[in-house]
Amino acid sequence: MINKDVEKLLLKVQKPGRYVGGEKNSVIKDKDKVDIRFAFCFPDVYEVGMSHLGMKILYSLFNSKENIWCERVFAPWIDMEELMVKNNIPLFALESGDPLTEFDFIGFTLQYELSFTNILNMLKLSCIPIKSKDRTELKNIVCAGGPCACNPEPIADFIDLFFIGEGEEVDLEVMELYRQCRENGDSKEDFLIKAAQIKGVYVPSLYNVEYNKDNTVKSVTATHNAPQKVEKRLMMNMDDCYYPENFVVPMIEIVHDRAMEEIFRGCIRGCRFCQAGFLYRPVREKSAEVIDRQCHTLCNNTGYDEVSLSSLSSSDYTKIEELLTRLTEWSKDEKVSISLPSLRVDGFNDEIIDKIKTVRKSGLTFAPEAGTQRMRNVINKNVLEDELMETCSKAFNGGWTKVKLYFMIGLPTETDEDVCGIAELGHKVVDQYYKCEGRPKGKAVSVTLSTSSFVPKPFTPFQWEPQATEEQLKAKQHLVKESIKTRKITYNYHDSSTSFLEAVFARGDRRLCKVMELACERGFHFDGWSDCFSLEKWLELFKECGIEPEFYANRKRSFDEVLPWDHIDYGVTKEFLINECKKAYNSETTLNCRQKCSNCGANKWKGGVCFEKRKSMV
Amino acid sequence: MKNVRVWYKKDGAARYISHLDVNRVMTRALQHSKLPIWHTEGFNPHPFITFALPLSLGFRGVKESMDMRLLEDVPEQEIISKLNQGLPQGIEVYKVTEPVMKPGKIAYGKFDIKLSSDAKTPEELFFMLRSLLTQDTIEVEKHSKKGVKLIDIKPQLGDYTLEKLEDCVQLVITLPAGSVNNVNPSLLVTALENSNSIEVYADITRLDVFNEEGKSFE
Repeated sequence: MINKDVEKLLLKVQKPGRYVGGEKNSVIKDKDKVDIRFAFCFPDVYEVGMSHLGMKILYSLFNSKENIWCERVFAPWIDMEELMVKNNIPLFALESGDPLTEFDFIGFTLQYELSFTNILNMLKLSCIPIKSKDRTELKNIVCAGGPCACNPEPIADFIDLFFIGEGEEVDLEVMELYRQCRENGDSKEDFLIKAAQIKGVYVPSLYNVEYNKDNTVKSVTATHNAPQKVEKRLMMNMDDCYYPENFVVPMIEIVHDRAMEEIFRGCIRGCRFCQAGFLYRPVREKSAEVIDRQCHTLCNNTGYDEVSLSSLSSSDYTKIEELLTRLTEWSKDEKVSISLPSLRVDGFNDEIIDKIKTVRKSGLTFAPEAGTQRMRNVINKNVLEDELMETCSKAFNGGWTKVKLYFMIGLPTETDEDVCGIAELGHKVVDQYYKCEGRPKGKAVSVTLSTSSFVPKPFTPFQWEPQATEEQLKAKQHLVKESIKTRKITYNYHDSSTSFLEAVFARGDRRLCKVMELACERGFHFDGWSDCFSLEKWLELFKECGIEPEFYANRKRSFDEVLPWDHIDYGVTKEFLINECKKAYNSETTLNCRQKCSNCGANKWKGGVCFEKRKSMV
Repeated sequence: MKNVRVWYKKDGAARYISHLDVNRVMTRALQHSKLPIWHTEGFNPHPFITFALPLSLGFRGVKESMDMRLLEDVPEQEIISKLNQGLPQGIEVYKVTEPVMKPGKIAYGKFDIKLSSDAKTPEELFFMLRSLLTQDTIEVEKHSKKGVKLIDIKPQLGDYTLEKLEDCVQLVITLPAGSVNNVNPSLLVTALENSNSIEVYADITRLDVFNEEGKSFE
């Protein structure tokens, strides 16, 4: 529902379709007939938030319950924000048009660290106090979940409770507890103390953090009987796990404008830089039959003519061929195309080529991640140069002329040789093109090399590593650029200053809350957007707060240091991560979960890949 | 194979989407409907649809149309209900006919413009608008791909009625609309704003489009 006051602003802003709701499949309920109103907030613009699968799953799940009404809220873009502030219009939810103060829960999804300022800004735009302790009543419970909840500490002062791990069950349990507490007339504090007893719930206000003189964490102590370690929640049976039959279909173009089907959670690979690879262990697959059915239902209900199979590494799906066969049975006739993102270099076989060839021939993207074999061994990206060349040959012979390769720079132990290796690999791919007999005749090859700056993340074997400094990263970017000798290669690199801030917040502690608070006061928002981000302004803030950001980004931690996120438990043991880190220093690789169990700790959930029969055993 | 003209309304939340968005929304509704639509046969097959005349973002439309090609005969009611099942609120198909006129023949549009302002009463607005419309020239900046240019829209104005309602002023006016000559009614709103240094809220509805002879598009 569009509020009258909002309507007057709509023709003065870019893309007003962001603020009007009314899409097909959006859910409208009678607010007087529900017990709980949940505002699902995505701290970025509509087009980004609407592309997020997690939100689609939880939105449908919550709304499938008769007594819950879940609505969507996005961060208004800066033009709209300005007009809303000027006209005293508080932030509103798209379905009802109601301000956030009317909601029982205000839930944020934490997808990237640079969206943290948007969370506080969205609370501010809603006229809701940003600090948890200033919200005293049992209403407007501010909660958060998603990957960045793995280190919740930099926003611990603002969020009442965090959901650790997968939300399908725990979110509903917390909402039910809230309903009971409200009926009993409990206080907000009573509710939070009780909520902390639910597995997967972290209530930061119930934990005391002490620091050492050198500002490292000395201890984190649970109070009010809260668990000393908060263990993540996860869904073990993906076939039985709730999956939406319907997506809200946006009217304006969004980033990923297609149906999405999750094919498995987790990743067998254990690349040492990749946080998702450790957070979502163990790998749990959906059966091909269920995926096929869900894809078909989604396309039928939305009218999308494209469905993307979503996972961390789609070619690792064990029954990929069976799945593609099932899907093509109906998708061809119904003119639906299937896309397979996140293909590994070594997973690009003829079968897959044939299947995706029927779809539009855009560029192909692979992520070798590092330029030399030594470096790839360090990060455990078990891809060989020969495999990359073979894959590129297949692609070129299959008619592709555009290849994009993703790399990281600033990886632990990286040398100039490794950095130059990125350009060299690009040259080899160009040469490979001209060696291919089956290449499209008369067409030039185009190879794009992209580098991003490595950000060490919690719960990875590199969580103790310093991030390379901005000067070092710039020098590395320069080195890649200088090493490229042909115009058939394009080089893109990601700005290193945002990576620096990302590194600070990724491994930050509660001392950063005061920086966040000041950032909110000063009107910081959309740090993930170059339109708004300014490292200079951030550095000023840090200075004012007496905090050295380098302490978080560029400092090497020792294995025995208490890390700010040590009281959060994702199942992967610290011993395993230490061992992986040591192996990285020796350029030793670790086999993937399907080859050999490396005893990471995730088998305690008694399911998934940990209990699959390995090929070598059958 | 049969060409049909699908008539729909654009209102509610959907009035805030652009013409390109309408195209996408319609394509998706067609996919959803599973109606036997002819697809283009190029490299990238897609349902073949054409719109009579794009409607500006923010305008309501009560008689919008889209042409498509059916591979076999389908009853009108079936087309209407199947398409509406796949459309968002605000876009509603209400009629399917055989195309009579070519979209290229469209020359005029009739618009209902409701104007209000926080700073002025409907009465004050009424007089401001009346004096604007009776000026010898109405100069306004027109933004196009080639840049900004100052044009006089006065000679382009067609018949109009002006009325003061309870909470707004209503102007119903015919303006050139089409691929050759086009005067967007929002230019008139801008002219009103500029000549009086006020901010005006305009609620614009396209009522109909006509050919050169003034015959309603069908």
